[in-house]
Amino acid sequence: MARTGLEVQIAAIKALFFREMKTRFGHYRLGYIWAVVEPALHMSVMLLIFTYIRDRSMTGISYAVFLVNGVIVFSLFSHIVNNAMHAVNSNRGLFDYRPIHPIDTVLARAFLETVLSSGVYLFFMILLTLLGEQFVIVDLLTLVSATALLIILSCGLGLGLMVVSALYPEGTKPLPVILHTLYFLSGVLFPLYRIPYQYQYYVTWNPLLHAIELIRRSSIPGYEKYVMRDISLIYLMECTIVLLFFGLALYRTQQEEILRRE
Amino acid sequence: MIRIENLTKSYPTSSGRYYVFKDLTLEFPENKSIGIIGRNGAGKSTLIRLIAGIDRPDYGEIITDKTISWPVGLASGFQGSLTGRDNVKFVCHLYATRAEFPEKVRFVEEFAELGKYFDMPIRTYSSGMRARLGFGLSMAFKFDYYLIDEATAVGDARFRVKAERLFKSRHSESHFIMASHSPETLKSFCDIALVLGRNQKVTLYNSIPQALREYQRDEHLKPIRKVHRKNKI
Repeated sequence: MARTGLEVQIAAIKALFFREMKTRFGHYRLGYIWAVVEPALHMSVMLLIFTYIRDRSMTGISYAVFLVNGVIVFSLFSHIVNNAMHAVNSNRGLFDYRPIHPIDTVLARAFLETVLSSGVYLFFMILLTLLGEQFVIVDLLTLVSATALLIILSCGLGLGLMVVSALYPEGTKPLPVILHTLYFLSGVLFPLYRIPYQYQYYVTWNPLLHAIELIRRSSIPGYEKYVMRDISLIYLMECTIVLLFFGLALYRTQQEEILRRE
Repeated sequence: MIRIENLTKSYPTSSGRYYVFKDLTLEFPENKSIGIIGRNGAGKSTLIRLIAGIDRPDYGEIITDKTISWPVGLASGFQGSLTGRDNVKFVCHLYATRAEFPEKVRFVEEFAELGKYFDMPIRTYSSGMRARLGFGLSMAFKFDYYLIDEATAVGDARFRVKAERLFKSRHSESHFIMASHSPETLKSFCDIALVLGRNQKVTLYNSIPQALREYQRDEHLKPIRKVHRKNKI
């Protein structure tokens, strides 16, 4: 039974996905419910703290909804990138099975994170609506395309970083610092629209900010007026294409080198 | 057919490159099980990994038209926190169709004889149990060649007899490539042997006893050491 390359890859990703699910949540009593509850608990604490501390400078906008959108989207990005970076070294044993390639571990993890994040997102959408906040999807198409672009962008960046960390482990040392800085530069906790226009130029280089603001715009009614002028889906798409290209190119040329055990 | 052509494999060390194989050219005879003998660090595992296609040579290639298993060793990609059954299912996802799952899982469950342990996390297994699971798992799938990385990967004496019987029944279609220190295991599973000597010297012998003799002479092992080694393994 000869299978095509694509069939083998899909089988590998599926296998890795279920394995990861089972490894993370299989042994708990409530099982997979924890997959959603765990990040939800984490978020709830943040919500409690920040909703009461922060001023409500955005009239008509629920800060809770604003925060949920920011935190979930950013953590989706950082989880995919972090997982991808460690994918080779934490899965060495798995490459003994020939159908599994390093890229499959990245894709499987990205897929898992997407499923989990969507679950958490839905959970909060229901919860906050029940609490009387306005959490409505205004523009489904932008929401889906911005999210999809962000996931692809994260995979592209993750792939590139995976290659770097597999070949030069010290190369990714600055990454946690960069991720933390990005957290503040992406407007996760507070809106960046108050930055004077001539300086917005500097923060809008960051494609993550675009993704987060686009997703907010499509799920918070009345948020348009707080979105910076330069935020655009096209820019996010361009960044995605560039990062994906470099990620794939690096991976394509270095796959053999990664698998060669030193 | 498995043919190795101009294979060179080296590892960088702080005092220059260490060559495991240098321009090795060799063809394994058809329909034979091959034992790989050599001291620790001679390159047995490296050769197995190269044949499995999961490690890459510096240059040269390994050409084959046979199906080759993953290397069955003690670690072999098991996830310690998952049960034996879940680990088996994982490999089934990779190599089998959905319809074949129950049959494969049942085969491994019966063959490995782990009893209740089959549904317990692998980290609770002894190394012998882990070996039986790994060996049984690889035997659940049809390959022309099975790669076995360690003698202990075959398990204890009783299990070895069982494995041998199963293997004899498949002898016409499947063969072993096995790296081992244990003369008994080599004699019961292999027909010919490849000795990895010092200075990248690789020699193929047509009988196991002859290969073992040559190897012991090369390594200046006195007969008394031989007895000692036997007991240890």
